Amino acid sequence: MAGTVAGVSGLGRAPGTPGEAERRSLRELPPSLLLGVALLALIGCFAVAAPLLGDPTRIDLQHALTPSGLPLPVLSPSHLLGTDSLGRDILARLANGARVSLTVALVANVMSIALGALVGIAAGYYGKATEAVLLRFADIGLALPATLFALVLASLLPSGVMRVIVIITVLFWAYPARLVYGEVLRLRQRPFVDAAVAAGVPGRTIMRRHVLPHLTPMLLSYAPLNAAAAVGFEATLSFLGAGINPPTPSWGNMISEGEGAITYAPHLLVAPALMIMLTILSFLLIGEGLKRLNPELARVSWLGA
Amino acid sequence: MARRLIVRLGLGLIAVLGVIVVTFFLEYVVPGDPARALAPRARDRATIEQIQKELHLDDPLVVQFGAFVDRLAHGDLGTSYIRGESVSSLLWSRLPTTAILAFAGVVVEVLLGTVLGTLAAMNRRVSAFVTSFNLVFLAIPAFTLGLGLLLIFGFWMGLVPVTGGFGPRELILPALSLGLMGAPWYAQIVRDQMSDSLSSAYTRTAVAKGVSDRRILLRHSARNVASPVLTMIGMDLGLYLSGVVVVETVFGWPGIGQLAVNSLQQLDRPVVMGTVIVGAVAVIAFNLVADLLRMVVDPRARTEEGA
Repeated sequence: MAGTVAGVSGLGRAPGTPGEAERRSLRELPPSLLLGVALLALIGCFAVAAPLLGDPTRIDLQHALTPSGLPLPVLSPSHLLGTDSLGRDILARLANGARVSLTVALVANVMSIALGALVGIAAGYYGKATEAVLLRFADIGLALPATLFALVLASLLPSGVMRVIVIITVLFWAYPARLVYGEVLRLRQRPFVDAAVAAGVPGRTIMRRHVLPHLTPMLLSYAPLNAAAAVGFEATLSFLGAGINPPTPSWGNMISEGEGAITYAPHLLVAPALMIMLTILSFLLIGEGLKRLNPELARVSWLGA
Repeated sequence: MARRLIVRLGLGLIAVLGVIVVTFFLEYVVPGDPARALAPRARDRATIEQIQKELHLDDPLVVQFGAFVDRLAHGDLGTSYIRGESVSSLLWSRLPTTAILAFAGVVVEVLLGTVLGTLAAMNRRVSAFVTSFNLVFLAIPAFTLGLGLLLIFGFWMGLVPVTGGFGPRELILPALSLGLMGAPWYAQIVRDQMSDSLSSAYTRTAVAKGVSDRRILLRHSARNVASPVLTMIGMDLGLYLSGVVVVETVFGWPGIGQLAVNSLQQLDRPVVMGTVIVGAVAVIAFNLVADLLRMVVDPRARTEEGA
């Protein structure tokens, strides 16, 4: 992590000896960044530990939660957070939900940004017809009513993480594409691109070797914000039954399943809701911290979903 | 300025056309035969075929698309399979409900965001508070916030009804949800613009001239803040009018979003397509209106180059 961060902050800084630079930058790191990384690491450990917490789908009606509140085995040694109405362990379900959320935060995030960057670079570099067509696609992508369109898409795909990843990629690429496009237009004015063109370097190589590296800081600081939006959107989709469907646990569908128990066991909703909030918060804190490191990136904002 | 307007209008139209094409073909491949959804108990093929013929479901895809675009050009969004009403009248009947919620949500978010942002620009401590406020409310997805408010104010305190429906008391929580979710964006931008403006040369000049604080805030700073805020209001109105699917679902608010979700479950293809298209048009139109207003308020926006 420190390496990446030093890379971002190293924009205007002469590279010193690696060890020294890293130690210095660690002490200089904004507290929000450290807090965000620590929080995310904790959630990551929780996700990794999921297999140790037992089977999240094992139904045990003898220990199930009932409307009378009994047996309500919160803090009992076998079920630390109690069980849901089917007797499934809530802690195990939460940990498996963390796996879903973090997978989406990683895969859907990277895919949507990669697609957006590809489109943005192509539009900004080639110009003319390519630019016009690709930008119109981005316009369409930004105008679609996101949730509704996601529901239509969801009815075409089988339930599961793949479905969520596809939907988020389709809906989230347009905004980074516009960000990258704007940046590429700026970069094209720089002399090093002219120099490369004059030297006869082919367009594709110019984009990969000369333009893409300059986009990295921007993409890196957009990634946590995009991840935050992706985690929230996954939860929303699963809550609406258009993401990951039960019995596979995800924080969103745990909340929708717990909705019926809102009067007598609100912790069924509160626990996954807190997990969602903390995960998004960790990404937002990282994003905020990266912005502090490099004020030039402050214009990279977040569309929200 | 006129040129810029025409370009923006043309681009908007192209985007609308794109949305129509995408929506039509996507809806077409949604599994499930509407004819069977309409007559779930029909055992004989003849009935099904009869319904398919009536709805033109047996025509080739291209013919169906042609007919669809032709009807759209005449302002006809089609007829609901399930409800038998025309889609446009269905949407019209739901529009006031959604519009009330959208408007209330925008009012709450703008008020909350502007007040927080302005105070934050003037005071360091408030600024720190606003930063945490923003982080917390950006971190809560709409449905979680909605359920949380419902749990606290509905179930625990019993201040508002929890059964959903349409009415002033039922409006409070959904509007508050939208407001709390939108406020961080406004607070952020108002704070940034306001502190830029307060530390600018023209403010220093005004102070030196002896202009009162009140007048500086209202006459000089407010105008500079208004421009981005107007853009965001336009975006939000368009977004909310296209149906706040999640908030309407959580609170049982009978608006366009709820209609769309129900129709999707009932395989009522024309209603779903109608909502997506009208939603996209709303987003594009309100962005355009916001751009126009921005040009009125902010002379700098008039000279910016196209799109």
